[in-house]
Amino acid sequence: MKTNQRSNGARRLDHRSPGITLAILCGAILFLWTIGLTACRRNEPQSGKTLTLAVNSGVEGDALKQAALDYEKQTGVHINIAEFPYANLFEKELLDLNAHTGAYDLIMLDDPWFPKFGKQQLLTELTPLLESRGQKGPDADFVPASLALGREPYQTGALYALPYVGNSQLLFYRKDLFAMHTLMEPVTWDEVLSAAKIISEQETAGAPGGGKVYGYVMRAAQGNAAVADFMPIFWAFGGEMFDAGGQPAVNSAEGIAALNFMLELGKYSPPGYASFNADDVGAHLLQGTAAISINWPAWISSFSDPAKSKVIGKMEFTAMPGAKNPGRAEIGNWLIAIPRDSKNKEAACDFLVWATSAEQMKRSAERGNPPTRKSLFNDPELVKKFPAYPAQLRSLESSRPRPRTPFWNEIENAFGIYLSKANSGELSAVDALNQANTEIAKILERGK
Amino acid sequence: MAVTARARGIGSDRNLAYALVAPSVAVLLALSIYPLIHAVTISLHVSAGGLSRWSFGNFVRLVSDRFFLSALAHTMIFAASALTIEFLLGLGLAVLLNQKMRGRGLFRAGLLVPMMLPTVVVGVVWRLMLNTNFGAINGTLQGAGFNTTGLTWTSSPGLAMISIIAVDVWQWTPFMFLILLAGLQAIPQEPYEAALIDGSSAWQTFRHVTLPLVKPAILVALLLRTMDLLRVFDQVFILTEGGPGFATETISLYIYRTAFRFSAFGYAAAMSFVLLLITNIISAFYIRVLQAREL
Repeated sequence: MKTNQRSNGARRLDHRSPGITLAILCGAILFLWTIGLTACRRNEPQSGKTLTLAVNSGVEGDALKQAALDYEKQTGVHINIAEFPYANLFEKELLDLNAHTGAYDLIMLDDPWFPKFGKQQLLTELTPLLESRGQKGPDADFVPASLALGREPYQTGALYALPYVGNSQLLFYRKDLFAMHTLMEPVTWDEVLSAAKIISEQETAGAPGGGKVYGYVMRAAQGNAAVADFMPIFWAFGGEMFDAGGQPAVNSAEGIAALNFMLELGKYSPPGYASFNADDVGAHLLQGTAAISINWPAWISSFSDPAKSKVIGKMEFTAMPGAKNPGRAEIGNWLIAIPRDSKNKEAACDFLVWATSAEQMKRSAERGNPPTRKSLFNDPELVKKFPAYPAQLRSLESSRPRPRTPFWNEIENAFGIYLSKANSGELSAVDALNQANTEIAKILERGK
Repeated sequence: MAVTARARGIGSDRNLAYALVAPSVAVLLALSIYPLIHAVTISLHVSAGGLSRWSFGNFVRLVSDRFFLSALAHTMIFAASALTIEFLLGLGLAVLLNQKMRGRGLFRAGLLVPMMLPTVVVGVVWRLMLNTNFGAINGTLQGAGFNTTGLTWTSSPGLAMISIIAVDVWQWTPFMFLILLAGLQAIPQEPYEAALIDGSSAWQTFRHVTLPLVKPAILVALLLRTMDLLRVFDQVFILTEGGPGFATETISLYIYRTAFRFSAFGYAAAMSFVLLLITNIISAFYIRVLQAREL
C-alpha cells in the first residue's frame, strides 16, 4: 500500500511540473555547454603547434610575453601565456611539474628555486636538444656566473635552464654627499661604515625637506629582505652558510663578526629598519633621507624619474665592497627551462634559444631588464641608456648564488627571522645565530 | 481521505526533496568533504627519501616547533586583547547610541564605515599611517611637538603587536557594536518600567535587566569575533608580515608560509587541525559559560 502510494506520487511528479522543469534545466545546461565548447574551439589556433609558457607578472615576464607575440608572428607557432604573480608562480610550477601533466612547455624560474626543480629531476636537459639543432651547447656570450645557475649540480652539472634576466646586487651611494665630505667610493665595508658615520653625524639637516640624512639604509624585515642585505657582508667577512661537510655554520666566528657589523651599520640606518622591505629602502633613497644601501638594479631607473626622485643625478652605483674576502653580490637571475613532461620539447627549445639570443635579449634589456650576455652589457646603445651597466657587469661576474639547496625557501625564512630579531634588538648577534643554526639544522634533518 | 492525500504528498515531497538536495550534496562532497578527508590524510603522512608513509610525525613535530608555539602564543595574545577591547568598546557604544540623542543616526552610520572597508585596504592605509619616518601619525605627533624617536610602530617587537591589535579594534569594534545594539533594541520597555518602579539605580538596571536580556546577542558577537580573531591573516600579513623577527606571526600566517612557501602541505594541514580544535574548544566553552551562568 505504502509503496503503491509512493510510486503513484512519483509518477504524478514525473508527469507534471518536474518533467518540464527538468527539460528546461537540461536545455539550459546543454545551451551553456554548446556556447562553452564553441568558444573553446574558436580559441584554438587554426593550424600549427601550440606552446604554453608560465611567466612572472612583472617587468621580466612582460618582456618574455612580448617576445612570445613576436615569435608567433614570425613562425606561426601559437604561444599560450599563463601569468602568475611572483608569490604564486613557484607553487603553480612545482605542483604542476610534480603532477607530470605536461601543461607547461616553458617556465620562468627565479634562480633560488632552481635547485628544488633540478634535484627532483623535473626539467629537460638542454644539451641534447641544442646538439640536435647543431649547437655544441650554450654560446660563450652568456656571463658564466649566470649560466652556472642553470646547471645541476651548480656550475659543473648538466644544463637545464638558460638565464634570461641578469640581476645582481649593487651598492648604491650618494655621490654628491661623498664629494662634499671628500669620501672615496667605498671598496671595503669599513669604508662604508665610516662614510655612514660621517654622513649621519654631519648631515643632520641635509635632506631635501630639511631633515636628517641617515648614513646607511638597510632592510632587515624577516625573510628574504634581511637575508639579502646580510649575505654580501657575511661572505665578505668570511662566513659560509654550510661547512665542508654540508652542516650549517652561520654561527661561526666570521658569521658573528658579520652580524655585529650589520648591527653597527644599523646604528646609522633610519629607526625601524628591522621591518624594512625594498619599498622602505627605496623611499628613503628617493626622498634623499639615506645615503648608502645595497639594492637591486631594478631601482636604478626610478632615481632619474622627477615624479619619484628628489636625488636626480646624485646616485652612483658600484660593485659590492669587500672585507676579509673580496666583495661579492647576491645574484638574482630569471631562468627559462623546459619541464621534463613537456610534449613539445623541440619547439620549446627553438623558442628558448630565440628568446635568449642577443637580438631578442636586447629588446628585453631596453624594457629595463638587465641582460645575461656580455655583449649586451658592452653594447654602446644600451650603456648610453643604462650608465650603470659597467658596474652591473662587474657585480654580476663576481656574484654568488644563494646557497644552493632545495630547502632554500624554508632556510631563508628561518635565517631571516633571527637576523631580524637581532636587528630589532630582541636577540644578541650570538644568540640569534646560534638559534638560526639550530633551526637550519632541523630543516636539513627533515629533508633527509 | 484527506489523510491519504497528505501521506501521498509527503512521499512525493520526499522524493522531490532528495532530487533537489542531490546536486548540493554532490557539490559539498566534491568541494568540502573530499578536501577535508584529503587534508586529514596528508596531515597523517610524512615523506622521507621520496617515499610517503603513514605517521603521526607532523603532529609530533608541532610540539617541538618553536615557531609554531610562539605563533600560537601570539595568536592567543592578539585574540584575547582585541576581543576584550572590542567587546568593552562595542558594548559602551551600543548602550550610548541606544539612547535618544541628537545625531544618533549619523553616529550609527559613521561607526559602521570601518567594518565595510576591505581588510586589505584598511591594512595598507594603516601601514602607511604607521610608517615610522614618513607616516601621518608620527608626522602629526612631531608637528604637535612630541618626540617620536621611540615610536617605531610596526618595527619594534613590542609596539608591533599593539599596532596590529589597535588596527583590528579600529576595524571590528563596529561589528560588536552593531550586534549588541540590535540586541539592546530587541529588549522590550516593560522590564525597565518595572525596575524604575522598584527604584533600582542605573547600574542595577544595567546589571540586572539589560545584561541578562542582551546575553544572546553578546554570545553571538563574542563567538563570531573569537573565530575571526583566531584565524586572523590579512591585517597582519599587510601590516607586519609577522615581523619584526617573529614578533607578530600568527598561526594562519605560519600555516600559509609552511604550505605555500615551503610546500609542506602535510604539516600545514596538521597545524590547521590544531587551530580548528582550539577554535572549537574555545567556542564550546563560551556557549557553556554563557548558557549556564545567569549574568
